[in-house]
Amino acid sequence: MTENEIKAKLKEFICSTLGVEPDVLDYDTELFGENAIGLDSVDSLEIIAFVDGEYGIDMTGVGKEHFFNIDSIAAYITENK
Amino acid sequence: MNKENTRCVITGLGMISAIGNNTEECWKNVLASVSGIDHTKTVDTENCYSDYAAEVRNSDWDNIKGTEGMDRVSKLCIKAVSEAMEDSGLSDFGGDERVSVIMGSCVGGVLSSEKYYTGEKKKELIPQMPISAIASQAAGFCNAGGSVTNIANACAAGTISIAYAADLIRAGKADIVVAGGADAFASVPYAGFTSLHALDSEPCSPFNHLSGITLGEGAGALIVESYEHAAARGAKIYCEVLGAGITSDAHHITAPRPDGECQMNAIRRAVSYSGLTEGDIDYVNAHGTGTAKNDEAEFLSLHTVFDGRNDDLSVSSTKAMTGHCLGAAGAVEAVFAVKALTENIVPPTLGFSDADLEVLAERAGKIDFCPNVPRKKQLNTVMSNSFAFGGNNASIVFSKGEGGCTLHNEKKRIAVTGLGIVTPAGNGKDKYIGSAGSFAPESADLRSAVGKEEYDECGLKMAFYRKLDRFSQLQTVSGMYALTDGGYEVKDENAADIGIIVGTSEGALSPVCDFEMLISEKGNANGSAFKFPNTVYNAAGGYLSICSGIKGYNVTATNGAQSGIFSVAYAMNVIRSGQEKAMLATGTDENNDIMRELYTGLGLASDTPTAPYSGSDKFVLSDGSTTLLLEDEASAKARGARIYAYATGCGAAHKSVPFGTISGSGEALDRAVLAALEDAGLKTGDIGAVVGFANGHKAVDTIETESLRRVFGSRAGELPIFSVKEKLGEARAASAALGAAHAALMLSGSIGCGDCFFIEENGNMRKGSAESDKLDNILVIAYGSGGSYCAVIISR
Repeated sequence: MTENEIKAKLKEFICSTLGVEPDVLDYDTELFGENAIGLDSVDSLEIIAFVDGEYGIDMTGVGKEHFFNIDSIAAYITENK
Repeated sequence: MNKENTRCVITGLGMISAIGNNTEECWKNVLASVSGIDHTKTVDTENCYSDYAAEVRNSDWDNIKGTEGMDRVSKLCIKAVSEAMEDSGLSDFGGDERVSVIMGSCVGGVLSSEKYYTGEKKKELIPQMPISAIASQAAGFCNAGGSVTNIANACAAGTISIAYAADLIRAGKADIVVAGGADAFASVPYAGFTSLHALDSEPCSPFNHLSGITLGEGAGALIVESYEHAAARGAKIYCEVLGAGITSDAHHITAPRPDGECQMNAIRRAVSYSGLTEGDIDYVNAHGTGTAKNDEAEFLSLHTVFDGRNDDLSVSSTKAMTGHCLGAAGAVEAVFAVKALTENIVPPTLGFSDADLEVLAERAGKIDFCPNVPRKKQLNTVMSNSFAFGGNNASIVFSKGEGGCTLHNEKKRIAVTGLGIVTPAGNGKDKYIGSAGSFAPESADLRSAVGKEEYDECGLKMAFYRKLDRFSQLQTVSGMYALTDGGYEVKDENAADIGIIVGTSEGALSPVCDFEMLISEKGNANGSAFKFPNTVYNAAGGYLSICSGIKGYNVTATNGAQSGIFSVAYAMNVIRSGQEKAMLATGTDENNDIMRELYTGLGLASDTPTAPYSGSDKFVLSDGSTTLLLEDEASAKARGARIYAYATGCGAAHKSVPFGTISGSGEALDRAVLAALEDAGLKTGDIGAVVGFANGHKAVDTIETESLRRVFGSRAGELPIFSVKEKLGEARAASAALGAAHAALMLSGSIGCGDCFFIEENGNMRKGSAESDKLDNILVIAYGSGGSYCAVIISR
């Protein structure tokens, strides 16, 4: 699976499961904090569970810079596959 | 009001938990520092990182006659109620209307949902699922005839139940309230807290390792009684119930405010309403769950409130022994707080090693957290705190002394100043006025729709609304509409002066069932952290607090369809007692594929349009949300608010019939109506019209018409009866609240009266129309499964 396919899959997951509207979510959009997307620690648990289930990569305790946007999550997955 | 009524006392205690089947056993184990936490064998723990729970492990308590077929949560509740009644020297109340039952719960009959979805979908399990069943069944057990409801505020529910019980007594609406809370250990909370990583991988250790909770189960029951009543019957009196503070965080759906602001407000309110100061509190039974977020916020709150004002404070969390019993926690801990008070012993917080004690000493400052072993101490006044998902905070004070309760009960008129309406016919008050009358659905499956347009209108951002389940969507939109319609701006300076009562019949039952289906397919290790917070019934009220900024009272009350006006009655009580100046009172229920399956399973959801009074055995299942902004008349006038009408009286009553039915309970409706009239200082002749609850189901419709004929006698035939269900279907609590809103709109002239029904001499109904200028007082009535009724009077 290419990194772009991973990004597409992550975006699909974030939109369908975490209720984010696709038109405001680009791969470089900041995910967490007081912004338009506003993901929080509960959402990060869902992302961790998804990444573990989908790619077998455990992101528990991984630095928050890797959760910055879809690009950085996908990069972490690619590096650790 | 009578001075005597301001004193509330505890005259009976009952409990069941992992450390004992009754109060004596549990207390003996508390004093011996025994923990009930062990590895669980009752749920699937495969791939789950923690398998600890504090369960009621034997079954020798499960033998109370009449509880067969009930969910475990109701059985636990009734076990504790039975003990508390015996302890108080009480027996069958004989339908006494001066006796109420208020029970807290978080997950309700979730084991019945589990059995339903993992088994053959047996229809007899369906009525056992909602939280609504618990208080109703407990009221049936003790044969109480007064106000009956459940408080569904998750982990604060037990404490709020006792606080509300005392409020009812102080308002003169009850002599005895059987109050408490119950929850059963089950897969949904276990998988949910697992998904949130909120379980401790070891037995929980509050105020110590901050590494998570251990779930418990059980029930606590307290007989809360007016002093006058208790003294007259020579009852044993444990202590006084003084003030309680209830607030909401307006912060986050699962995490408490890190600054502790609203926790502290709850604690300070409890102290202040008790007529005491911080220095008077000798012991606090803390919420102390064991999670970092809770315990750190609580350390901060306790230090900020008490440091420098109280150098001899003891605090402990009994959750290291009982686990976190969720909706039962506040009740179980209230029993412990009362035992501590009366026996002058501080219960311990277990689990501290020598190294832990050194860390604790730094965190504790001058507060004594009573680690590991109980401590003898002269106690005169104690406090019990509970903080919950949804950002709900509750604190209550028990004392050996009379205190000087500052809450009052002025029977003042309460202004209706804002309306928020969401129905299948459209959203917003104007849409309701404009189109609900001509709404002509062809389907018998009615659903409201809220979306981006409504969120934009309410100023809600995607970062917020993306988290909401549909029940919460309906509730937040109608709630925000009501504030906007009332021109009520929530600002820092008034945020704590306004509160919320959400009324709902099924509440978050759909998200519970949805979550249950998820884990029964994928296992308890694969629950959803995103979905779990929405399985608590008070999530919707929590979200409304977050998006509106409301930091005052926040309670979700559930007991059938009547909850939608019970919320109005409850809110009136909160305003009259001086706890808030304004309240949002709501009714919300949803219809979706899950609810439709359940109602179809019960044989109640019609496939074809079905009109009220049509003699059917089904109704049109619908949904929606209506919110009324209620205000202290003086406050409303001071801010120049437009006043639609006034809420002038309320009454509630219960006549137990099996939960899931209502036939045979009609006399309770008579009593609810008469109580509302008395409360408003009106006579039957003053009532010009009724907004009824008929939905097409013959058993429901007959109760309404027969009761009106009994109460209004020869005038019954002249009374126009309006129906908000004729066009919009049976939306349970949403219909009940809409009925109250409809009455306010008619009285204000915003909506014409027009079509209505009249009772003919033979009991049949005929259609007619009525003039609004003849109306001064409108009676709004609603029913609840199991025989609970509420009546509210809306006046010009």
